[in-house]
Amino acid sequence: MSYARSTQFNRRSSGSWGRNQNTTRFASPVKLGPVTHTVLVALMITVLGLIYLTQAPRATSYDYEAQKIDSKIADLNNQKTDLQVENARLTALENVQNSSVARNMTQPSQTDYVGE
Amino acid sequence: MQLDLKKGSRARTLAILTLVIMAIFIVRLFYLQIIRHDYYVAQANNEQLKQLIIPAKRGEIYAMDDGTPVPLVLNQAVYTAFADPKIVDEPQKMIDLIHRVAGGNARPNLDRLLGLKDSRYQILATKVTRQQAEMMKKENLRGLGFQEESQRVYPEGKLAAQILGFVNNEGKGQYGLEDAINARLTGKDGLLQSVTDISNVPLTIGNKNINIPPQNGENVVMTLDRNVQAYTEKALADGLKKSGATNGSVLLMDPQTGKVLSMANFPTYNPSEYNKVQNADAFNKETISAPYEPGSDIKTITMTTGVDKGAVGPESTYNNTDYITVDDATITNATKGQTGNITFQHALNYSLNTGFVTVAERLGDGKSITLAARNTMYEYFYNKLHLGQLTGIELANEQAGTIIPPSDPQGNAVRYSNMAFGQGLDVTMLQV
Repeated sequence: MSYARSTQFNRRSSGSWGRNQNTTRFASPVKLGPVTHTVLVALMITVLGLIYLTQAPRATSYDYEAQKIDSKIADLNNQKTDLQVENARLTALENVQNSSVARNMTQPSQTDYVGE
Repeated sequence: MQLDLKKGSRARTLAILTLVIMAIFIVRLFYLQIIRHDYYVAQANNEQLKQLIIPAKRGEIYAMDDGTPVPLVLNQAVYTAFADPKIVDEPQKMIDLIHRVAGGNARPNLDRLLGLKDSRYQILATKVTRQQAEMMKKENLRGLGFQEESQRVYPEGKLAAQILGFVNNEGKGQYGLEDAINARLTGKDGLLQSVTDISNVPLTIGNKNINIPPQNGENVVMTLDRNVQAYTEKALADGLKKSGATNGSVLLMDPQTGKVLSMANFPTYNPSEYNKVQNADAFNKETISAPYEPGSDIKTITMTTGVDKGAVGPESTYNNTDYITVDDATITNATKGQTGNITFQHALNYSLNTGFVTVAERLGDGKSITLAARNTMYEYFYNKLHLGQLTGIELANEQAGTIIPPSDPQGNAVRYSNMAFGQGLDVTMLQV
């Protein structure tokens, strides 16, 4: 029984290499011409370019997200400031004095002071 | 692999063509990127690189209330509503919206402003609150924009207005504390330099991005007590009304620490409407900026000087004749009849001028206000008690007043005899 090998194993001729360190060479039956090579290289460059181009918008999309968050933070800070101002206005002396609670207060009929 | 390009073959032609095109690209790129590098970088930076100022938050101002700080001055974001008339397509709707939401803050003649189609920026309303701005934004009208700015708000209204001062349109403090410590309150603006897109959104691309965060201004807590200040202002207003006076000042200090608890002046103003003030005198605090002759208050200081130097004591006596002569001047008492051999305590009780001129004389040879007596008085008045000197209170426009030294020809015996009972010198209420 005989069979044909499609793969050739060549022993490395150098004696300085250790044991079991053979190398193989795959000899493809497909031959690529110069036009195919050029087209393949051009395709690879195009793919790399496209990858680069897709990365740039992805980076800037994070900027837009960051901008949205910054804007939200600023808005919340403004809301907080508005509430602080409102709180200060509501507790201002003039407002307290003119409040319905203060207006309804009456003078005590009698005041007793507790001695020490 | 061996490239075998036969002369005249299509592959060879294609290869040559590709090389020629690549060569053209390389030459063109070399021209653009190497030779014209600086030009295009500058042009790109001009287009894309923006510098945005990040405004620092101005410091807030607080008073005390039973040991707790309470705000007298805060910041609030307000908006200026503007339009680009060139792209506004529903002017009437925009006018109605501005009038409905901004009300009194809308500018007059909105239809005329929106009709200026050559203009790209017209202010439609100012001082619009955040809620109002949000309501207008919801309408999504084309050409309507908002610009945020910060304004000072005064929750307590007019309270302590002259102490606080105000911030003008350029953001600079004027009068009072706002002016005196403007640099501390202002802080330092930050800077954002970044490549931006068409909507001015900063992008992280590029290597010239700079982000310097702002340094906000300091918040300040005054020694002023809110309740004492309010009561003082009311008492002053009532007192002026009762007496028919047009202006007056009150200053309350803690005698142990010198802390100012209240400082009231009348007439006053509303700091949020400072631009409506007709007379700039309303901005001034006479307690620190209007030196005056303090009068009999100074008698206590003259007496202190005499007692401290051992020249007189409360029970020391002098002969009061209701007048006393110093050089060519005759000084009389306002209160007459307390004549005879009386104590200096008695003179103090009745505020008798002659008693304190006598103290001044006894600081010298006992018969006249000698140079040594005048030097002693100056030492106590000016050097020890700092009358006639700035106190350094952190309020704008403080005036020093005047204490004329004995070395000045004006600082003669007559001058110092007057100074002994509070005339012939100018000091502020705060110094006294």
